[in-house]
Amino acid sequence: MAQDGQFPSWLLPLALYGAMVLGLMAVLLALCQALGEKKPSSEKLRPYECGIVPTGSARSAYPLPFYLVAVLFLIFDVEAIYVLSWAVVARRLGKPGWVVMFLFLGILLLGLGYVWRKGGLDWGVSGRNRLGEPQRPC
Amino acid sequence: MGGIRKESAWGAPETLLSSLDTIINWARQRSLWPMFFGLSCCFVEEAAAFTSRYDIARFGAEVLRGSPRQADLLIVSGTVFKKVAPVVLRLYEQMGEPKWVVSMGSCSNSGGMYDVYSVVQGVDQILPVDLYIPGCPPRPEAVLHALVELQEKILEERPTRRVLGLKGGTQGSQGDPLLEGRTKARDPRGPGYQGTQLRGDSATPPHFRGNRSFLVWTPSAPCFEMSETDQGLAGQLQERFPGMLFLEMPTVDMCCFRVRKEVILDVLRFLKQDAIPRFRRLDDLTVLDESTRQGGASRERFTLVYHLLCFDPPRRLRLKVGLREDDPLAPSATSIWPSANWYEREAYDMFGVRFQGHPNLSRLLMPHDWKGHPLRKDYPGRATEMSPYTREDARENQPLGATALLPEAWEGEEESLILNLGPHHLGTHGLMRFVLRLRGEEIVDLGMDIGYHHRGVEKIGERQTWHQFIPYTDRVDYLSGAANNLSYLHAVETLGGIEVPPRAQFIRVMLAELFRISSHLVWFATFAHDVGAMTPNFYTFREREKLLDIVELITGGRLHPSWFRIGGVAQDLPQGWKEAVDSFLREFPKRLAEYEALITKNPIFRGRTRGVGCLSLQDAVDWGLSGPNLRACGLAWDLRKTFPYSGYEKFDFEVPTAPDGDCYARYLVRVEEMRQSLRIIEQAAREMPPGRWISQDYRYCVPERKDSLQHIESLIHHFINVTQGPRLPPGEAYVATECPRGEQGYYLVSHGLGYPYRVRIRAPGFANMQVMPLLARGATIADLLAIIGSIDYIMPDIDR
Repeated sequence: MAQDGQFPSWLLPLALYGAMVLGLMAVLLALCQALGEKKPSSEKLRPYECGIVPTGSARSAYPLPFYLVAVLFLIFDVEAIYVLSWAVVARRLGKPGWVVMFLFLGILLLGLGYVWRKGGLDWGVSGRNRLGEPQRPC
Repeated sequence: MGGIRKESAWGAPETLLSSLDTIINWARQRSLWPMFFGLSCCFVEEAAAFTSRYDIARFGAEVLRGSPRQADLLIVSGTVFKKVAPVVLRLYEQMGEPKWVVSMGSCSNSGGMYDVYSVVQGVDQILPVDLYIPGCPPRPEAVLHALVELQEKILEERPTRRVLGLKGGTQGSQGDPLLEGRTKARDPRGPGYQGTQLRGDSATPPHFRGNRSFLVWTPSAPCFEMSETDQGLAGQLQERFPGMLFLEMPTVDMCCFRVRKEVILDVLRFLKQDAIPRFRRLDDLTVLDESTRQGGASRERFTLVYHLLCFDPPRRLRLKVGLREDDPLAPSATSIWPSANWYEREAYDMFGVRFQGHPNLSRLLMPHDWKGHPLRKDYPGRATEMSPYTREDARENQPLGATALLPEAWEGEEESLILNLGPHHLGTHGLMRFVLRLRGEEIVDLGMDIGYHHRGVEKIGERQTWHQFIPYTDRVDYLSGAANNLSYLHAVETLGGIEVPPRAQFIRVMLAELFRISSHLVWFATFAHDVGAMTPNFYTFREREKLLDIVELITGGRLHPSWFRIGGVAQDLPQGWKEAVDSFLREFPKRLAEYEALITKNPIFRGRTRGVGCLSLQDAVDWGLSGPNLRACGLAWDLRKTFPYSGYEKFDFEVPTAPDGDCYARYLVRVEEMRQSLRIIEQAAREMPPGRWISQDYRYCVPERKDSLQHIESLIHHFINVTQGPRLPPGEAYVATECPRGEQGYYLVSHGLGYPYRVRIRAPGFANMQVMPLLARGATIADLLAIIGSIDYIMPDIDR
């Protein structure tokens, strides 16, 4: 380790390399932006949809299931932070800590069961056609 | 390069610019990115140029790009239809700068053999074109050549000024589109013929003063003899509907009744549900315009023609309904057969016959804002009789918005996403447009828009002699080549009672089966590709090339041999055909086993296809499915067995079926069909009978060369048959053959001239396609692509 806040010499090649990469990227992107012929027209700027004028907006209809899955994932992800930080000091906290943690996990588990029962995890295709008949007779 | 050096005398900055030109051009010419964009037959040859034998990567154009944003080379391969021209123009405009355009094939160059109401007479009327590739279709080598030529052209450009944003310089495709009649010749015969009149029009076939063809005697058409089943059926019908229907006599091909309009629905329902035997499938529904029929004016203005099929015993039945008004109304059969939906829409589109009770009577093939009904006799047939198609037309006549194409209005609470899949899409295998209503990834509803590939071939048939029409048949299903010839000629020969010698029959069978394998090989590659397996492409196209080598050896052509003739084939088999066929027969089973090893038990492939796109047999029959798609629902129905033609009864082969009706079942059936075709080819080659290869009945056939050189009679026949064409007796025949994609039927109506009065093509894809919403609703987009691949349709035969 270098002393007195001096820049460590062994890091120099890495920094140089990083600067070169960033520099090259910047140059290429800037050249692409600056050079070349541009002929913007309403047709060219229109979204490509198989050669047809698109109908409706692509942003309006975001299917709810994906949102639900994302939210559920977040909730259970946050849980992991508590579990991990508790695990580090588990011995020091002793039995009371253990009880509190498992209470917390239990409440989460109940929540999961509730979501499951409510159909929050069924987010694939329904497998049913418009008339409500099962799509796959075979 | 020379040009660049010369101009460097302008001064130092110019020298610098020239050097930069050289560098930029060098880089550009070696990295062209063609767009994945095919219109029709030519694209098959273009795609072949990317496969192993031709390998365009050697020339610096590696991969076809799926979207215009990533491409700089537009190869317009195939016919530019008026319905798709706005799409072509948009794709061109959505490509980045600079971009180049190659026009591939006669259709794209000039309209080619399709001088017909629905085709733009050359893509150069809407886009500037850099390079034209002649041919119909051009071979893959021609695509390679064009690429090299284009690279040469790029070398002559001066792009630096454009790149630096300075004035001047050249790059990419330049100039304005051509204007028919102004900057390009409008006459279909080329420049210099303006003074002479075109022969014939849509209402009257070409007529020559002093033509004696009306005086030529032709024997009457053969007469159909009713079997006991037919007589029983006639008895039942006459008992049940007394005075409402009449047996039409004599007929050539099947039992035919004329039915009063008031009872037609009852008759159809009776035939489908209660008659003995039951006619469970609606094979075809079409219309005849009676207004210019020769010989005995008809009282009817239109005739509605139904062709029905009974599976057991195999029988066909024709029903005719006369319509007297100029703007007629007929009852809709959609309540009896759901498949009548598109047939009736087509009849409305082409003839203006309206159907009462039809759920959605709108145009099907022509653009929604089209004027007139093209198959009416008073409608002009040729594009050159209409005003020229211009870039402004392509801007104005946009395809219908997606919402209008969805069958059901959306009533759900959530918002749904509407997505166009096609007409330009890698997965739609041609100019097919699906409109999806999506909830997440799930397809809630599926709409379809066809007609982007409508070549007006039925209209063209009315102005070609019986012989001249043969090349058009090749292009109806462009992957099945000679098998198409067979369907048409089978109908002509039935109508004329022409005997085909056994050798010719065997040659025809052999070629038709070779093309079945060739078509299935393309299907195999594309289907596997659709579900994510790229490798089979390179394998199957390799074998397909070997197969086309045999076809080329025998016929001289690749995709479109046009080699069958009325009464036989064009020539005898050449020397060395047997060895070529035998070597393929030895080789191919091993290769087929290789493909199967890759795909058949592949867990990913099975996961993607089993239980996907299921269809019950009942639905398949109701919707008029045929070919492998029907057999994959468990019914062993194959016209080669049930209505044997061209000597198929002499061959020993099996009809593969699979019970499940899903994508995987359709896969299994086609793979096994390749094996069975191989058996047929093997038998045909082994037992090839000696003798004549064209009928001796020179009244209808183009005589053998040696005869026309030695006998004056044969010479006269030759002369008559290749100029004004043979006259066929008045009558009509509907005949279908088992094409690779299903039952392709030709309904030919002759009024005793050298030209058909009406050519109706019953295409397998038209019926197979209609069932798509049934398969796709409730599936995901990924499933839809697997379903599309498994149905194996081809656009020219759906749109014709």
